[in-house]
Amino acid sequence: MSFRDWYRADRLPTIYCAGCGNGTVINCALHAVDTLGWRWEDTIFVSGIGCSSRAPGYIRTDSLHTTHGRALAFATGIKLARPELHVVVFTGDGDLAAIGGNHFIHACRRNVDMTVICMNNWIYGMTGGQGSPTTPRGAITTTTPYGSGEGVFDLSALAVAAGANHVARWTSYHVKELTNAIDAGLRTPGFSLIEVLTQCPTAYGRRNKLREVSDTIEYLKTHAILLQRYNRLVAEGKPVPEDMFTVGEFVRRNRPAMGVPP
Amino acid sequence: MSRVEFMQGNTACAEGALAAGCGFFAGYPITPSTEVAEHMAAKLPKRKGVFVQMEDEIASIAAVIGASWTGARAMTATSGPGFSLMMENLGYAVMTETPCVVVNIQRGGPSTGQPTLGAQGDMLQCRFGSHGDYSIIALSPSSVQEMFELTAKAFSLSERYRVPAFLMGDEIIGHMRERLTIPDSVEVAARRRLEPGTLPYTAGEDGIPGFPTFGQGYGVHVTGLTHDERGYPAATNPRLHEKLVMRLVHKVESARKEMADYVVTNPGAEQVFISYGAPARSVFQLLHDRPGEEIGHLRLRVVWPFPEFALGEFPDAKTFLVPEMNLGQVAREIQRHTDVPVIPVPRLGGDLHPPAMLAKALEASR
Amino acid sequence: MKLAIDSSRCKGCNLCMLVCPYRIFKEGKEQNERGIILPELDRPERCPNCRLQKLYGRTLCGLCQMICPDQAIRWDDEAKNERQKVEVEF
Ligand SMILES: Cc1ncc(C[n+]2csc(CCOP(=O)(O)OP(=O)(O)O)c2C)c(N)n1
Ligand code: SF4
Ligand code: SF4
Ligand code: SF4
Ligand SMILES: [Mg+2]
Repeated sequence: MSFRDWYRADRLPTIYCAGCGNGTVINCALHAVDTLGWRWEDTIFVSGIGCSSRAPGYIRTDSLHTTHGRALAFATGIKLARPELHVVVFTGDGDLAAIGGNHFIHACRRNVDMTVICMNNWIYGMTGGQGSPTTPRGAITTTTPYGSGEGVFDLSALAVAAGANHVARWTSYHVKELTNAIDAGLRTPGFSLIEVLTQCPTAYGRRNKLREVSDTIEYLKTHAILLQRYNRLVAEGKPVPEDMFTVGEFVRRNRPAMGVPP
Repeated sequence: MSRVEFMQGNTACAEGALAAGCGFFAGYPITPSTEVAEHMAAKLPKRKGVFVQMEDEIASIAAVIGASWTGARAMTATSGPGFSLMMENLGYAVMTETPCVVVNIQRGGPSTGQPTLGAQGDMLQCRFGSHGDYSIIALSPSSVQEMFELTAKAFSLSERYRVPAFLMGDEIIGHMRERLTIPDSVEVAARRRLEPGTLPYTAGEDGIPGFPTFGQGYGVHVTGLTHDERGYPAATNPRLHEKLVMRLVHKVESARKEMADYVVTNPGAEQVFISYGAPARSVFQLLHDRPGEEIGHLRLRVVWPFPEFALGEFPDAKTFLVPEMNLGQVAREIQRHTDVPVIPVPRLGGDLHPPAMLAKALEASR
Repeated sequence: MKLAIDSSRCKGCNLCMLVCPYRIFKEGKEQNERGIILPELDRPERCPNCRLQKLYGRTLCGLCQMICPDQAIRWDDEAKNERQKVEVEF
């Protein structure tokens, strides 16, 4: 089998805009699941509401497309009721960190055995481009027409602090590394968050000088700094440019987890 | 051999759920329902069931729905404020046709209101509280015995019709202690499986599709969006949406007779009380105090879908008196179905109607 | 095998162009029946997958297929009796 066989071919092409990064992230997730040898009959994809959350609808497994922000709570029910099923959640920055923020930290705290893939595009894509908890300061959105003045959530740091067993961040450009990170997440018992910085050319890029798809890809490529390198720079007292973001594995640990199959 | 116990209503509710094979409970503490959760927390793990205290009621009902898709009989219990929080996901359960039981031990509202006192103010909320058009099932217990029986029955109805079933109790019955006879076993309708080769949302005559349990190779997509028979989103097709919503409503409403569960006393009476839940007990007392008079009593154990044909059990009725611990929520429904005058007898504040209050309403209506 | 773009799926985003180390994908010029400008393929037989995928039993490189957000890139078997083109770039 190849990752392509996990798609519902009769539902393609997706509703996503041309150049949207979500499709890439789904490819990587399915590739990881496929090479790990999981059976589609035993794998459940769950999501909330948003462009990112449409992902399970394109996958042939059993899948639950739930309500905005609540995917992790639904997924918790599935996993605790049937720990032998594999549970993977697709979510967005708004879904996970705004309306679903409370479920997010508590799912990390419970360390429920699931892998959560968050397409963080810094925006509410589906509703046309409103500010989200990860919208960078100064960014233009339809609800921050003069530039966002709010603070920004670091989703990965949040998950580490809240107790998740595995946390990594990559981007929709780094397909190999992302696939490996998802693979690590799938293998780690307990809660795993893979945050994927993803381009949304339509609702974010267009308003923020990243008009072409390639502009955001170029940004992701040039502004990602590997965690180890970042740490080295800091240790050596060397300056790290302000606008860089770290990528890599932030934590992999073995705290007690819930819903791990016996 | 059945066994006899002296038990609190909320505990009896939990026992009824366990007897009905409930294997999953997710909840969040709230007075006056918490004992249901506490009893489930003590009992479920010993039966290979799952109890989980979630971060709020939104998450509780979400987890219940998730568990139900794995085939578990799943429930939650709450009261007013938590019930309000559950509304969006209850609509999701309706749309996705997920069996689940929701216990609401009602307390005085609005808002935080009267945490420790009973009410029936959520009867319309359980019927209409989520957005959009739909139908659900609601049962209302008047005794500790019925807390047990109707909880079990709620599972049966929910599993059979694939719709949320509500046990609409109240603080009075929830915290009352009474004699309870626990039968050896309780029969619960099984969820009908989806026949292989059938589309997941293709329904037969009765409007109820077979259930494609997760993890059994059905590869079903479940969404709260308007969906076609494959389960695929089809949210912009007007006629498809209409057809889906009509089916969701019809599968419940067309089974009103099958589901009806009420008790008729003195069918020849001209003055008839219609009650459900705790106020039925005040009616019992009144009838007990006036043995010579023919006073009718229709006691509803299933309130929704409303069994309007039950009104016909009283062909000579000249007035229907409806004591409720709200401002006439079900009285309004009754009036819709009859030309006989319907007189609400509201009681707010958390205490039951004194029988004298019912007597006064009775005299005034003559 | 032959590299192909599924014209019923491709949305013309050109992400494939950004990642191919061989620069096999070139900006297209003509709209297809769906109004989409597909990338053009420049000597696709240079892609190592065309020659070696079968031999190695796995996808080599595969970056374009992985990043293609619309699952539009695939390798097809040659039709019976069709000559396999080989071009190796060092
Ligand atoms: C309770 C509720 N509030 C609001 C909405 C409207 N809504 C739909 S998607 C969305 C935001 C999605 O943003 P994100 O999770 O970042 O997903 P993206 O579309 O960016 O992938 C909102 C606010 C909703 N569906 N439900
Ligand atoms: S709006 Fe943004 S996130 Fe949504 S499909 Fe379009 S590009 Fe993707
Ligand atoms: S990446 Fe895929 S969708 Fe985009 S242009 Fe290339 S083939 Fe077409
Ligand atoms: S597999 Fe690699 S070399 Fe071959 S076409 Fe794709 S990106 Fe280019
Ligand atoms: Mg987003």
